[in-house]
Amino acid sequence: MGSSVGHAAAPPPPPPPVGLAVALPPKVEEKSEKKVDYLNLPCPVPFEENQREALMSLKPELFEGLRFDFTKGLNQKFSLSHSVFMGSMEVPSPSSGTIKVPTAHYEFGANFLDPKLMLIGRVLTDGRLNARVKYDLTDNLTLKITAQITNEPHFSQGMFNFDYKGKDFRAQYQMGNNAFYGANYIQSVTPHLSLGSEVFWLGHQRKSGIGFAARYNTDKMVATAQVASAGIVALSYVQKVSEKVSLASDFMYNHMTRDVTSSFGYDYILRQCRLRGKLDSNGCVAAFLEERLNMGVNFILSAEIDHRKKDYKFGFGVTVGE
Amino acid sequence: MASRASSKGKGKAARGSNEQSTARSVKKWSTWAMKKAKVITHYGFIPLIIIIGMNSEPKPQLSQLLSPV
Repeated sequence: MGSSVGHAAAPPPPPPPVGLAVALPPKVEEKSEKKVDYLNLPCPVPFEENQREALMSLKPELFEGLRFDFTKGLNQKFSLSHSVFMGSMEVPSPSSGTIKVPTAHYEFGANFLDPKLMLIGRVLTDGRLNARVKYDLTDNLTLKITAQITNEPHFSQGMFNFDYKGKDFRAQYQMGNNAFYGANYIQSVTPHLSLGSEVFWLGHQRKSGIGFAARYNTDKMVATAQVASAGIVALSYVQKVSEKVSLASDFMYNHMTRDVTSSFGYDYILRQCRLRGKLDSNGCVAAFLEERLNMGVNFILSAEIDHRKKDYKFGFGVTVGE
Repeated sequence: MASRASSKGKGKAARGSNEQSTARSVKKWSTWAMKKAKVITHYGFIPLIIIIGMNSEPKPQLSQLLSPV
């Protein structure tokens, strides 16, 4: 501890705590106001995942009937999946909204997951193929391809996305079938707030649109807002009440159809199960439970009651594998 | 759409018809290529994933591919 000449002596150490000070917890130093470094902002969440916390809590994959999924890993990167579904699916019909159609299908899937390349393919018994490819061209540029190919002509869909991740922004360019072109951009403006916008152009219908999004998040809450020129306003708010519980609420207004929907939901992530439930302004109450019975075996229960339409959907299933 | 393009070509001077026919043939070839690509992807995507997966390290056995365990 050699101190050079002219150095002032170190201040004397504080006296040992006495009396009540020993019983109370020590006073935590107030974190001094950190000056915001606007050149070092964090990278924002991708534009299409702006509302992902709210969607995860409020829109679980509710189903009706029996579902059995089996995923078999052959090695670290490659796995096959077999999935059986027997139940009803909602099919949009021109006459009266949606109708329930009893369906049963077997789906075979193969996944290849590499840090740089991800390939996921699923084929159904009626010949439909769902394909997803994600390839990292460089550290910052990613190519994503999503395609749904059917046997019927003119029903197939495909989309190419190029994503560029910058230091505190993300940009994406999309090309799809039916001459769909879109681009979006999102930028971190402060450490908590990010703003973004998107434009798209539909070639065959000569329609274009523009939309804006904002996302404010802290450790405990996430608030998002989205406005689109198609007349849709969507707001959402998710509060993380504790490590295991989060509450979410969502509001959507569609100007064209004068439709307003608001929902409120909860998400309990416990040691052996995950329980999500929601209550809707359309009179829908839903709950979704995933319970871990054993290593790799999950039991799933899904329930939805639509009081307005008197429609009841119950589903159960087992998922084996990761 | 092809017939409208061809009638416009006939209405204008003959120099326009050359560009019209190359545009039409490019569109025909690209449509043919997209159709073939769709069929190839439809039948070949899952086998492609399986081939890439079976060749990745550590190499899994063929019996693992077919058996349910």
